[in-house]
Amino acid sequence: MRTIRSVSSPRSGQLKIIFILLGVNILIMAVLTYLSPTFMTYGNISAVLTRMSELGMLAIAETVVLISGGFDISIGAVMALSGAVLGTLHVVGVPFSLAIAIALLAGVAVGFINAVLVVNLKLTPFIVTLATMSIVRSVVYALLKGHVLTELPEKFLNLYYVYVFKLPLLFVILVATAVIMAVLLKRTILGRRIYAMGGNERTAYISGVFVKRIRYLVYCLSGFICALAGLLFTVRIRAVIPDAGLNAPLEVITAVLIGGTTIYGGKGSILGSLLGIFAMYLLLNGFSLLGLNPFWEVIILGIILIFVIGQEGIVRSFRASLSRRRL
Amino acid sequence: MNGETSRLGPLSSLRRLFQVREAPILIYIIIMIAVFSVTINGFFSMKNFEIISRQITTIGIVSIGMTLVILTSGFDLSVGAILSFAINIGGQGIVLGWPIWIVYPFMLILGVILGWINGFLITRLAVPALIITLGTMNIYRGITMVITKGVYITPIPSVYQVIGNGYIPFVFFAAVLGFFIYVTLTTRFGRNIFAIGGAEQSALYSGVPVRRYKMIVYIISGFLSALSGLILVGKSGFVQPQAGLGYELNAIAAVVIGGTSIFGGSGSVLGTFLGSVMLGIILAGLTMLAVNPYWQGLITGILIVLAITLDSIRYLRR
Amino acid sequence: MISIENVSKSFPGVRALDDVSFTIQDGEVHGLVGENGAGKSTLIKILSGIYPDYEGSISFNGSVKRFNSVHEAQQGGIATIFQELTVIKDLSVAENIFLGREPMRRFGMLDWGVMREKSEEVLRFLDTLLNPRETVGNLSVANQQIVEICKALVLNSKIIIMDEPTSSLTEHEVHQLFLTIRRLKERGITILYVSHKIEEIFEICDSITVFRDGKHIGTVEKSKTSHDEVISMMVGRSMNMMFPPRTAHRGGLLLSVRGLTRRGEFEGVSFDLHEGEIIGFAGLIGAGRTELARALFGATALDGGEIELYGEKIGYFSHPNRAISRGIAYLSEDRKGEGLMLELSIKENISLSILKKISPYFFVQGSRERELVQSFVSKFKIKMTSIDQIVESLSGGNQQKVIISKLLLTESRVFIFDEPTRGIDVGAKYEIYKIMNDLTAEGKGIIFISSELPEVLGISERIFCMREGRLVQEYSREEAEPEKVMKVLTGGNAA
Repeated sequence: MRTIRSVSSPRSGQLKIIFILLGVNILIMAVLTYLSPTFMTYGNISAVLTRMSELGMLAIAETVVLISGGFDISIGAVMALSGAVLGTLHVVGVPFSLAIAIALLAGVAVGFINAVLVVNLKLTPFIVTLATMSIVRSVVYALLKGHVLTELPEKFLNLYYVYVFKLPLLFVILVATAVIMAVLLKRTILGRRIYAMGGNERTAYISGVFVKRIRYLVYCLSGFICALAGLLFTVRIRAVIPDAGLNAPLEVITAVLIGGTTIYGGKGSILGSLLGIFAMYLLLNGFSLLGLNPFWEVIILGIILIFVIGQEGIVRSFRASLSRRRL
Repeated sequence: MNGETSRLGPLSSLRRLFQVREAPILIYIIIMIAVFSVTINGFFSMKNFEIISRQITTIGIVSIGMTLVILTSGFDLSVGAILSFAINIGGQGIVLGWPIWIVYPFMLILGVILGWINGFLITRLAVPALIITLGTMNIYRGITMVITKGVYITPIPSVYQVIGNGYIPFVFFAAVLGFFIYVTLTTRFGRNIFAIGGAEQSALYSGVPVRRYKMIVYIISGFLSALSGLILVGKSGFVQPQAGLGYELNAIAAVVIGGTSIFGGSGSVLGTFLGSVMLGIILAGLTMLAVNPYWQGLITGILIVLAITLDSIRYLRR
Repeated sequence: MISIENVSKSFPGVRALDDVSFTIQDGEVHGLVGENGAGKSTLIKILSGIYPDYEGSISFNGSVKRFNSVHEAQQGGIATIFQELTVIKDLSVAENIFLGREPMRRFGMLDWGVMREKSEEVLRFLDTLLNPRETVGNLSVANQQIVEICKALVLNSKIIIMDEPTSSLTEHEVHQLFLTIRRLKERGITILYVSHKIEEIFEICDSITVFRDGKHIGTVEKSKTSHDEVISMMVGRSMNMMFPPRTAHRGGLLLSVRGLTRRGEFEGVSFDLHEGEIIGFAGLIGAGRTELARALFGATALDGGEIELYGEKIGYFSHPNRAISRGIAYLSEDRKGEGLMLELSIKENISLSILKKISPYFFVQGSRERELVQSFVSKFKIKMTSIDQIVESLSGGNQQKVIISKLLLTESRVFIFDEPTRGIDVGAKYEIYKIMNDLTAEGKGIIFISSELPEVLGISERIFCMREGRLVQEYSREEAEPEKVMKVLTGGNAA
């Protein structure tokens, strides 16, 4: 397959991945255009872009967390949480803008809890976020009592139909978030420090980086973005469902890893992750247009995940820097 | 110096039963039973315990496999998926009218094969077991869904329900439990598992066949997942493609609560058993207290956090 | 009899062993001494089968053997007890002793009876009171070591290598260990005792081999030599080490510490550092120098003592960031683990500590960053293809230059260099000495920690000797002689 890492420069390695992904995406689009007449239509592409908005947001969140050397599997649950909080508060009569604010805060709160457990109690991020995922998911079920909530203000739901420069609003929000986060990561001091922490936490610490504080920030930010994703999701399907984001961890993590972000931290890009998500959604779209069983997606994702990481893993094992305590 | 634990020989295994680590959980369990019995009418009854024991069984058996895996400092997120695959794909045999003495082994073999695949990938690719089993979990589930097209297998011949009746599930659980307690306490394989998780490099240098043993552990996990599936089918009376969802979480919870360290190298099958019992009792009690069943995830999650915090403290103290 | 003939081994950038030849007699306790980096651990690893590829040959009683794995070495009768013990904490003593070759009954069941018996036999031979059923994790380090020795015995090892066995033992335990070694000797087992503690070597060994800089300096019988002679062999008359002429003048007081203490690591350390000065800290492993540096820098917490910086009494630093912002820079001895972010670029590594300085508000000024980084790359002649290159691909010396660049960019006034030339070739070493020299010429002060005595003595104005957490002696450059210092470090003078 391709080499993920180029020894001469991290940039060229990253760039290679991005180009490859771009190529893959174009290839898929070409194939689908050939196979299906409805693919390359404004309506279809719009739908794809809108649909990938929330998973794209989750991917952004996970990318930042992974680059910082952490891990977050609770992203899907937080996405469901914000929707559930929003819907529930609305039903009991809380003013809508306030409800939105609280929903977003709920995401931050979960991020905060994750941070406390990982930073202060020094527990492994995987198990911690696995546990919080379970906790949050059950809170979601409890709030919604297992039902689907459809009672939401029209003005809110109609945001789905808003277009900005011919693009769906939801997609634009995704792009905006992506741009902000990408700029943050690549151009700001904070971003540098995040990469540093992921690259080698001890070195970052000794070099004066406030690792603990930044970790808090990263997890809370992730929570916020996931919550935002939940709002986008609610608008898109015009309902609040308790099962939102159940499959998210696999899809998002696979896309993010394919996009060049590593599990170990210190490397990655928002663009890569989004291209990965885009590729996934193109595939999904293709499946439905061609009438294929959508469950093939999960299979393919699983295989891709193992191969991509497997390849990276072989490169890594030469460097013998595997730390099993990490995850 | 001449202090604590005796761990040699079958008799001292008994003494090991009351080793420091497991004793507290036993006490918690007793306390919980007492508290619930007092506050809930009908908790302390044979019927109730029978129900609880059946509920514990399916997760419990899977947890035992998970214990071995975690002891070698690995992970198996695919247990639920293997369970589902085994009973659904194996269940096609039921649809085709095969006799039960072919279907059961078929299901179990599927579990073994999937476990083998896990083990193979984990030992050959220098990739965390976490990621690999995340991938295989979804592959197995995906394949299951594709083949079954989401269709339940029902009705099934009543002979398949024998295994799920009354106390029989618990008997299976007890048998599996007993077997693996024996294995982890008295066989070379079992003891070496601890070595692999505790200090893999050392174990390797000492001549322990690390790679082979890791493979075996994942195969066992796959097998036990399939076995658990058989019982699940017996209890519920049908085969559904979504079977086993969330099992990995509960299994990890039982293992961790039972005192096994997620870092590997330390813990016990008995502890996992107690952990799953405790989990089962808490959940059953809360259900009877008319606490919203949706809070289950919350409780499980909190228990996991508490357990690994304790584990972390114990680990760091070393 | 073990014959080591013309054995050499190189790693990228370093020749760890250079044409080493000597003989170990059967049944003797053979000491191997040398400073850090002398090549002792490399030889141990070769003998243990960890490094199968080396030049030269090793023969046992006449027949040449090459061990391609640890397992083979064990089959060949060699057992090694490393400084970091390799016992499995959750298993019992007996299980550890028999790890990997447990006696079995049917069905894979362990034969507890045999295990217990044989363990007790071995334990009795070593005259210890350990219970075979005891969980090893509960034992003291000394006892864990005994377990490892038992393991070696059960393997029917003919040769037992002990690598710095007494580094974590109390005096009493050391004594017990020596009794054990004598017992092993009675059994005809050959022991290779590797240590830098001269006292112990002279107490227990029959003959002594000295390594220095990867070379074999000499092998002598204990009865025919003396402490001083061994020390001088260790240290060598090799002042053909080149040092740049010291041009700096001592200026005002930069840093003054009194009674610095951190429980379990060091106690009551006091010293002064002036502008233009390099003070060297000599000591053996475990002396507490690195611990001192890290606590001073704020990476770990201080338990006691006072710090006066630039004439002002200050509290302890709670985080390295605080120390950096007050003009103190620290070069960690763990280059890969704490000095670099291996997968990031040269540019990103170098600019890490001064990000705030090159950016207004939040944004990193790319051009300014490149400018600064480039200037240091040229100044230090770091060999690379571009500053976007990943540091992992650089040689040890160049990697060190990257880290030093990072430090220098902070424009600190106090520099703490911890083993800055470890694992670096001679040419690069000289460059680093030059850098240190230039720094002091600018009025900076340097705390220089090194385990290579010649370099400490060659470049420092004053030398502080640390042993077991205490600052035991101070010498000026003129007073310090290699043998004198080594004696102090190894506990020659004090009890």
